[in-house]
Amino acid sequence: MDFSLTKEQKFFKGQISRALQRIVAPFADAIDVSDVFPRELFRELGALGYYGIRYPSDIGGMGADCISFTILAEELARASIGFAAIVTMQCLMGTDFIYRFGNDEQKKKYLIPAIKGDKIGTIAFTEPDCGSDLGGIRTRAVKNERGYILTGRKLWITDGDVADFVTVAATTDPGKRLGGIGFFLVEKGTPGFSTGQKIEKISARGAATMELIFDECQVPATSLMGEEGKGAKYLNDILSEIRIMIAGLGLGLAKIAFVAGLNYARQREAFGKPIGKFQLIQEKLAEMEVRIKAAEFLTYHAAWLKDKGSLTGKEAAMAKFYSTETACYVVDEVSRIHGAYGLAQEYPAQRYFRDGRFLLFGGGTSEILKTIIAKDTMKRSDFEIN
Amino acid sequence: MDFAFTEEQEFFKKIITDTVDKMVVPKAREIDEKDEFPWELWKDFTRLGYLGLRYPEEIGGMNADPVTAMIFYEQIARGSVGFAQSVIMNILMGTYFVYRFGSDTIKERCLYPAMRGEKVTTMCFTEDQSGSDLAATRTTAVKDGSEWIINGTKMWITNGPVADFATVLATTDLSLGAKGLNFFLVEKGTPGFSPGQVLDKLGCRGTVTGELVFDDVRIPEENLLGAELNKGIEYLGEILDEVRVMTGAMAMGIAQAAYNEGLEYARKRIAFGKPIGNYQLIRAKFADMATEMEASRLLIYSAAWKMKEKLPSRIEAAMAKMFATETCCKVVDEVTRIWGANGFANEYNPQRHFRDARFLLYGGGTHEILKDFMGRLLIGKA
Amino acid sequence: MNIVVLIKQVPDPEALVEIAASGKDLNIEPKFAINLFDEFAIEEALRLKEKHGGTVKVICLGGPKAIEALRTAIAMGADEAALIEDGSFAARDGYDTALVLSGALKKETFDIILCGRQAIDADRGEVPQMVAEFLGLPHVGVIVKLDIADGKATAESALEGVPEVVEVGLPAIFTAQKGLNEPRVPLITGVMKAMKVQIPRFTLEDLGVPKDVQPKTTILRYLPRKKRPAVQFIEGEPAQAAAEIVRVLVDVERVI
Repeated sequence: MDFSLTKEQKFFKGQISRALQRIVAPFADAIDVSDVFPRELFRELGALGYYGIRYPSDIGGMGADCISFTILAEELARASIGFAAIVTMQCLMGTDFIYRFGNDEQKKKYLIPAIKGDKIGTIAFTEPDCGSDLGGIRTRAVKNERGYILTGRKLWITDGDVADFVTVAATTDPGKRLGGIGFFLVEKGTPGFSTGQKIEKISARGAATMELIFDECQVPATSLMGEEGKGAKYLNDILSEIRIMIAGLGLGLAKIAFVAGLNYARQREAFGKPIGKFQLIQEKLAEMEVRIKAAEFLTYHAAWLKDKGSLTGKEAAMAKFYSTETACYVVDEVSRIHGAYGLAQEYPAQRYFRDGRFLLFGGGTSEILKTIIAKDTMKRSDFEIN
Repeated sequence: MDFAFTEEQEFFKKIITDTVDKMVVPKAREIDEKDEFPWELWKDFTRLGYLGLRYPEEIGGMNADPVTAMIFYEQIARGSVGFAQSVIMNILMGTYFVYRFGSDTIKERCLYPAMRGEKVTTMCFTEDQSGSDLAATRTTAVKDGSEWIINGTKMWITNGPVADFATVLATTDLSLGAKGLNFFLVEKGTPGFSPGQVLDKLGCRGTVTGELVFDDVRIPEENLLGAELNKGIEYLGEILDEVRVMTGAMAMGIAQAAYNEGLEYARKRIAFGKPIGNYQLIRAKFADMATEMEASRLLIYSAAWKMKEKLPSRIEAAMAKMFATETCCKVVDEVTRIWGANGFANEYNPQRHFRDARFLLYGGGTHEILKDFMGRLLIGKA
Repeated sequence: MNIVVLIKQVPDPEALVEIAASGKDLNIEPKFAINLFDEFAIEEALRLKEKHGGTVKVICLGGPKAIEALRTAIAMGADEAALIEDGSFAARDGYDTALVLSGALKKETFDIILCGRQAIDADRGEVPQMVAEFLGLPHVGVIVKLDIADGKATAESALEGVPEVVEVGLPAIFTAQKGLNEPRVPLITGVMKAMKVQIPRFTLEDLGVPKDVQPKTTILRYLPRKKRPAVQFIEGEPAQAAAEIVRVLVDVERVI
């Protein structure tokens, strides 16, 4: 058993960490306060080539493994959760369907520029009445001689306001629930496709979450990604990867918050000494560190299994659930360590505290994930390290 | 053992609940969004007379016992934390020492108008370098003839930017630590006394909180609020329990507001064909929340009852504060989870309760401090 | 000017209501409130007193819990209150209730009787009119305005379409409609008074009113309410709102 990163992975981590800390981290507060898409930063990072991390080098990608992608997610989250949400969307959900199912023209028009950071992609499945229950979506795709007509409303769509193209989940057969879902590639500016209201939120600000409106939107037959009715399966194919990615985000947030708490504990004095010398503060630091370590192992173990080809949904669910809950635990304790300053806008503790919330839902709520884990557990009984 | 409120207390609870529902709840969002002192609501609400809650009827108060007072604190916090904090400052901390030690003229000038809502007041302990550690207070009070000269800067002062008068904790002798502390009355308009920077906060928005600066502020002798010199910490002890139990009561108000939101959502949000309240994991959340809230309330009201009966309540008050606060933080967390992504959308209330709950963690004492102090008492001189 | 206000304590509008297994009864969460329309009646009575002098007495037929409703009226400023305590009050229908109340009112002196237009639980709106009949008094219903001068009342009734202004001699009964006034929030002094006051309770025997329940109507069955779907508010300028409504009907709901 070798628990260390490979030389390449270590190098990659060093590079991306330095780049993000230099380019993005100084703007984290500004992104949070303004809640505006950080175009300059997005372009700057795109030019470095990271958005193609999962894609092969012949289309401008990096062909990197899952562990590396997880490292990227972690480092992004350390710099800024809002920015991380945007970039991870670009790297994975927002582009993956075109990579897997797009024709050459679509790849040329959307995927290649997206990898460079010249176009922004996003995915849209959530609706006002459907979050966890994907099978209940009501956006309809009705076949006609020119392709499909999309009608419906999506909500909570990351980058909905700036995305150049969207991969949209719609059903060709509502009665079949999950079995009726297909994904469609829709370009910004297509008649019948518009953005609606923006959801003002306290968490992951900078990554705007929007309403998207499809009003008898005609799309060509080629916009169907893959086959009708197979959409849920296609999403499922990348779901574990999404969950590991979010686990990585959780780790990044937990670690940066932990360091802030640690620094405060070292420097803030009370009763004649730094508060880090008091047992109760020490207890917090110890609890946090152990949990972060555990989250780290669960996350990278899942990523390693993916790279090996033997990942199951359960490990990914465990990683996501534990890592994001740990992040929320850490940002809570860190805000307590900061005392009243945990409330003050001028310290990042309150931003970390708010940002933790968004991690609880993307990729599946903890409640849903626990049922997934338990369902699998009920079928098995072994606890081998594999 | 009688675990019920008296009929009078039940009635009071109904009235204040209805009053808060009518007057405060509809304004809560706006107060949070604007983050300004809500003067209009202040005028409307204080006209009803509740600021005199704890003071004797003879001076226009209600003479409410601690249990009745806790009922009030819970409801007002349920309505709007931003508003509640300003209100309770006038009801208790900002006026207590004036009531206790102020001369008749001082009472005429400060206490009675504060009880009527005509003046806004506050209490100043915290400084940049001293929160939990009051002994590290650096605001000084130096006697000069028949005057005191106050110098220093106070931080995190509720109502600070708009206060008409303030009770200020200052030391007459830095070397004495906690034993040199005293309370002084400083009024707006006194040269050298001015509000400083206003704090932008995550929660309790609407309660304007800021710095207060004391630059060679001269106040007359009678503005020392205390029968004897250097007994500030001892006098503080007179209201410490009430402040702590009150914080616990406020925690329950916030928790109740959040809990009600959770109920509404669990009943109406459909997923996989039925309201999410049908699922075990959601049901379990409510079971946990309700149980802990019930336990919190029992701790709060039993501590209040002990105070009412003039029984020792120091440990019980700390217990009530801690337990209720931790419960509240759990409840507001769970409720945002029940609301899914909507739990952090600004459009809905759960995110406000989530933010507002944080101040409870240190108002009245951080839990780390309280645990250390309680443990010390429980174990005895080790 | 002596004013009597008749009030009813009803289930809190937020209380959960379920039809019992038998279908003939309701299981209602035990949370109570003063009937909304009665609050307008109390407020109007207080305003009349402030303008013309006199006393305001509030009477309620109910169980022991109804004392709380009476206390609220005192907190608002009523001078006196009385509970007609009757364990079977819930089994009485409008006719029976009116019989009991008019029996109580025969012992009172009054110039004006104010009531809410209907109770929000039964929603019948018949008791005040029957009381008027039993007492041989004129009544004006669903009023949104009431002025008194020279022993006469001028009331404005909010009928559908055209308001009706009625002049009537006193004593008379008036039922309050929403819009009559904005009920005041009790001052702490009122609350304190209400907390301490002893509210007299009367049994039907005390009033010389027959005790037996004599309803003229029986409830056969309760049927579940039809599920009303969520209401979506369409905002904006009329032209915009209209376009949005069409869009929702055609594209989102696909009903056209």
